[in-house]
Amino acid sequence: MFSVDFTLRLGDFTLAPTFSGGDELIVLCGPSGSGKSLTLQSVAGIMRPDEGRIEVAGRALLDRAAGIDVPVQARRVGYVPQGQTMFPHMTAAQNVAFAVRPEDRDRRRAIVADLLEKTGLTGLEDRRPRQLSGGQQQRVALARALAADPRILLLDEPFSALDTALHGELRELIVSVQGARGIPVLIVTHDLGDAFSLGDRLIVFEAGRVLQQGSREDIFFRPATRRVAELVGARNILPMTVRGIGDGVVALDWAGREIAAAIYATHDAPPVATGQHVEASIRPTQIMIRRQGDTYEGRRNVFLATIASEIMGAEFYRLFVRIDGSPAAHDLEIELPAYTYFRLGLDRHKEIELSIRPEAVHIMHG
Amino acid sequence: MSAGAVSRRGRARVVGLGWALGPPALLGVLFLGLPIAALAWRAGRTGALAEHATSAFVLDALRLSAITSTFTLLIAVIVGTPLAYLLARYRFPGKWLIDVLIDLPIVLPPTVAGVALLVTLGRRGIVGEQLDAAGIDIAFTTTAVVLAQTFVAAPFYIRTAKAGFESVDPSHERLAWTLGASPLRAFREVTLPLAWPSLLAGGILCWARALSELGATLIFAGSFQGRTQTMPLAIVGAFESGKSVEVPIALSVILVCAAAAMLVLLRLVTGGVSRDAHV
Repeated sequence: MFSVDFTLRLGDFTLAPTFSGGDELIVLCGPSGSGKSLTLQSVAGIMRPDEGRIEVAGRALLDRAAGIDVPVQARRVGYVPQGQTMFPHMTAAQNVAFAVRPEDRDRRRAIVADLLEKTGLTGLEDRRPRQLSGGQQQRVALARALAADPRILLLDEPFSALDTALHGELRELIVSVQGARGIPVLIVTHDLGDAFSLGDRLIVFEAGRVLQQGSREDIFFRPATRRVAELVGARNILPMTVRGIGDGVVALDWAGREIAAAIYATHDAPPVATGQHVEASIRPTQIMIRRQGDTYEGRRNVFLATIASEIMGAEFYRLFVRIDGSPAAHDLEIELPAYTYFRLGLDRHKEIELSIRPEAVHIMHG
Repeated sequence: MSAGAVSRRGRARVVGLGWALGPPALLGVLFLGLPIAALAWRAGRTGALAEHATSAFVLDALRLSAITSTFTLLIAVIVGTPLAYLLARYRFPGKWLIDVLIDLPIVLPPTVAGVALLVTLGRRGIVGEQLDAAGIDIAFTTTAVVLAQTFVAAPFYIRTAKAGFESVDPSHERLAWTLGASPLRAFREVTLPLAWPSLLAGGILCWARALSELGATLIFAGSFQGRTQTMPLAIVGAFESGKSVEVPIALSVILVCAAAAMLVLLRLVTGGVSRDAHV
């Protein structure tokens, strides 16, 4: 458990994040320069906030009002900074041994060997940083952070220097470490894929503030504001007008078409009123497609459309579709696996039928 | 395109001036190399070099030089290391003044340093007067030799050490703190080893400068055999007292050997640094 609520002023920039979390994987995401790394450094004690409170595992690391400011070396944080992270003059084993606590000194060799084994570095003990790959260095830094038996783990862009294969390995390692240690792990990343797949809890930063915090589903599928939706990669943000509410859905007017959005019992957003102008987001992967002519009745949110243009990726195809009769160049962006694209014969047939689950239509407030 | 401009081992093209650079370059090498060669040749021809080299006059100077330059180095390291670290890591008002003060002895004629020390610590100097009243005499003692050498040579250590500390990324230190290391331990186990080649190079430069110190020592400490007459002073003294030219030659050869040994050491140390930096 931890909580962060402080203010740090650096010239024109004010960092004032407020968030908390349990013993889980917490991802801090948001544009660069939004204060994610500075937040980690403030928890680690390298940066000193002007006011506020930071608490980890029931212990106040900082409480300016009460005059508490635990020295960096007594905070028991496992901090892995971005970039060159190993001490350049030490071997892998020496790097890890550096962080072993004085009370564990007689077990030092065993602790170092154990951590190097858990991070898959056995056999590389005597290598220096320049004899190790970026991924290996990153794992040494992680092992070293764990050697200090930390109460919280702080990882700043741990994947930034890694290629795809190593990326996945390190991601699994971080998940298993969190599970084994049962401590909060704060991860700064700008990669939305990592944010979604790693984060039990997501904290969205912008301009020194937390825009929204919540589960990955909350953040990705139910962003509170248009800005959060944009930051987490929503691409269909559409202006709509409320026609009426009832039957578990909000009926919306979307440029003359009717579309239904589900009302979430868990969603604590303010209610909408008939006639209100709102923005709704539809995730590009949440739109079902079939060829025109395969239509069957009884579904909500069914539209006939035409594929206006498409972008082919290695795994996913992105389609820009125009609802039939619409004057726009395109109305919606859809993402689907290459397999599905060919299975549906979309390489030949551009006339399609869309169906959007009401749960995939999310109304934002502001 | 001339084939001669392209290196055969496929390296990058070098300046195409070629042989036009040869004659002046050769002249420069000859001018620098010839006196050293002459010294060696003369020393080799003089049969009694070993005898001169072991005379009391030479041995006294040798012993004094060894002792005073070692003390100078010790003082420079003890006082200069914290100062260099302070200058490398912190910003404070008046820092530029300290920087200038440290550079000053490097550009000052050593005789000026001698005069300055004399009016400070001499019997009638602003501090020396107080010391004299307390029965402490510094000028014209072995202590004065060490002080003169320190004044002139310590800046070389401080400058180099400061550059060394500046080259150590402070984020390494901060990272060490987060891993539970006290600031002292972070300094000892992270900063110091990383700055070590620079500290060593600075120490060698400082020691070499102390060993060759003449002007400041002559004015502030005088030239008394066994007490203040280090090797450079003994060379001057030998000429002045009309001793045979073999004595200064013997002293010179010893100094050349010591200086050359130090330069080779310096090369090894700093060469190691640049090799590391390139990887």
